Amino acid sequence: MQHAFKIKDSEHAVGLSRSEDGYRLHLGERSLNFRLQAGEAGDLVLHCGNTVDHLRVAVDGDDVWIHIDGETHCLRFEHALQRLAELNETAGADVIKAAMPGSLVSLGVAAGDSVRKGQTLLVMESMKMETTIVAPRDGVVAEVRLEPGQTFDKDAVLLSLEPVAAE
Amino acid sequence: MNWPFDTVLVANRGEIAVRILRTVQALGLKGAVVYHAADAKSPAVALADEALPITGETPVAAYLDAAQIIAAARQAGAGAIHPGYGFLSENADFARAVEAAGIAFVGPTPEQIELMGDKVRARAHVEKAGFPVAPSAIEDDDPASFVERARQVPFPILIKPAAGGGGKGMRVVRDPAQLEQEIERARSEGQRYFGDGRLYVERYIENPRHIEVQVMGDAHGQVVHVFERECSVQRRFQKIIEETPSPALDPALREKICETAAGIARSIGYRNAGTVEFIFGQGGEFYFLETNTRLQVEHPVTEQITGIDLVEVQLKVAAGEPLPFRQEDIGKRGHAIEFRIYAEDAASGFTPTTGPVLMLRPPQGEGLRLDAGIREGQTVSAAFDPMLAKLVVTGADRSEACERADAALRDLVLLGCQTNIGFLRRVLNHPAFAAGEVHTGFLDAHPELAADPDLPAATRERLLAAAAAMTRPLRDIADTVPDLHAAMGSWRN
Repeated sequence: MQHAFKIKDSEHAVGLSRSEDGYRLHLGERSLNFRLQAGEAGDLVLHCGNTVDHLRVAVDGDDVWIHIDGETHCLRFEHALQRLAELNETAGADVIKAAMPGSLVSLGVAAGDSVRKGQTLLVMESMKMETTIVAPRDGVVAEVRLEPGQTFDKDAVLLSLEPVAAE
Repeated sequence: MNWPFDTVLVANRGEIAVRILRTVQALGLKGAVVYHAADAKSPAVALADEALPITGETPVAAYLDAAQIIAAARQAGAGAIHPGYGFLSENADFARAVEAAGIAFVGPTPEQIELMGDKVRARAHVEKAGFPVAPSAIEDDDPASFVERARQVPFPILIKPAAGGGGKGMRVVRDPAQLEQEIERARSEGQRYFGDGRLYVERYIENPRHIEVQVMGDAHGQVVHVFERECSVQRRFQKIIEETPSPALDPALREKICETAAGIARSIGYRNAGTVEFIFGQGGEFYFLETNTRLQVEHPVTEQITGIDLVEVQLKVAAGEPLPFRQEDIGKRGHAIEFRIYAEDAASGFTPTTGPVLMLRPPQGEGLRLDAGIREGQTVSAAFDPMLAKLVVTGADRSEACERADAALRDLVLLGCQTNIGFLRRVLNHPAFAAGEVHTGFLDAHPELAADPDLPAATRERLLAAAAAMTRPLRDIADTVPDLHAAMGSWRN
């Protein structure tokens, strides 16, 4: 398993090694030599083949933000070990995550409540619109993480259901 | 001039707080600002002569707390409060409380806010005064027959909350069968956002332009217009690109719509800055939409082509001075376009994004103005409106402004939080925008503009190369492992 970067939803496995005067990027069978140097205006200058690009780069944990050709991109680093671990994870519908940042308007259930598929769990507000989140399956509410009025970021866990017992 | 106050409190945040403080300070006055802890690192707090903390159950609630803000003004010795836009800017009770505290409210009278802030009353007033309004049904006229009367308005129709603004709770209904259901939804949203579930419906004009006129009045009965702004490029009923002059108006039509706006303002003796909004049909017909009784987000484009500092005039009017110009003194030159920079992901339905501002590099060049409410080190949170900054570009004519805008959007760098900058540039370069042929449904008609463009393979490789060299685990392997192993992608050793 290789290290990789995620750009939007697509994953790109990469390897990096030294070249004579810089680095070599490995993308599957393909490799290319490049140099990355500090520029004069606080930018980074990328020499790659015959092209020279002036980049703006900022790193925030695993996120590498790059401005190139007038567009901004975010590349998320995925460690090889982490990618391997994720293969073994089973995706279940036990956790309700926020698809976008917003705030909680109202809660229809509390921890311990039994819910039916399609039943309203909570109402959230985002982009000045209300959205109703319904139960993805029958089950029991395990935990409610928020109170009405509270704000949350994208991907925050809003509510979880008790896992279904294995049969 | 002799000011009756020496300190102005700005009851707002973000870019508009910075923009108001700059003029306050340029006039030799002291600028104070209130702030919630979430904004402690904001540029407005850094710029202000005095910054006074306010608290609230949520950050937004703090900026809506009239009593705390008036107490802060007293503490700062402020003789005037500028409310900016949003928050308490169109709250008549706040304006009244400010004046009762012996502080000048930089805006219209509480009565004018009440009249114009209630869309139903405003519309009735405008119609009675002899100005054009679109066919409609108003719930308050007779609540029992509202649904029936709404059905009589020619479809498609638009449902709006009586107390609304900013596109909240508005719904287009094309199928009469959906009417009752949509009315209930709009009522629920109106109730939640404005504490007022009253509604009205009006004929929905297909593919209209949004044209608005800046007006300015003083306490001595003088009212002028400061030309129009076209704000037709909207997503979810919210403006994202605004410009002046409007490409849709010839001089005669410009004169007509601007004089209509001034006439509406004059009919209520309007004081201070306001904006009269119109819906403008493809045939050149226009109807009164609403009046915003405050400074608008997009006011800078007007300033750029007239050379008038609208905040300065607002402060003079609040100080009791007459307007510093008559209608015939107001000229304009060139073309200005504003782009609203939002923290949002255009490709997934313009959903808000959050993140740290790791790097902010304003573009350099002629005719550029960046009104920004953020700086490096700050974090964009979900607590506030996702507008981060406004890029205002001015040129001798529209095509020069567009050319400069293209370079400016290309060079504007904001890293750490996804923004709509790339999307704005795609809109700018669309042939319909270049031709000045846009309407409020333009973005819905061109969903491809919101989609992420394909990433060319060559660009992707260069991105991966730079990212790899900036990532510690990859660099460590490269610097310690012979080339062959790295090529195999082996981390096992």
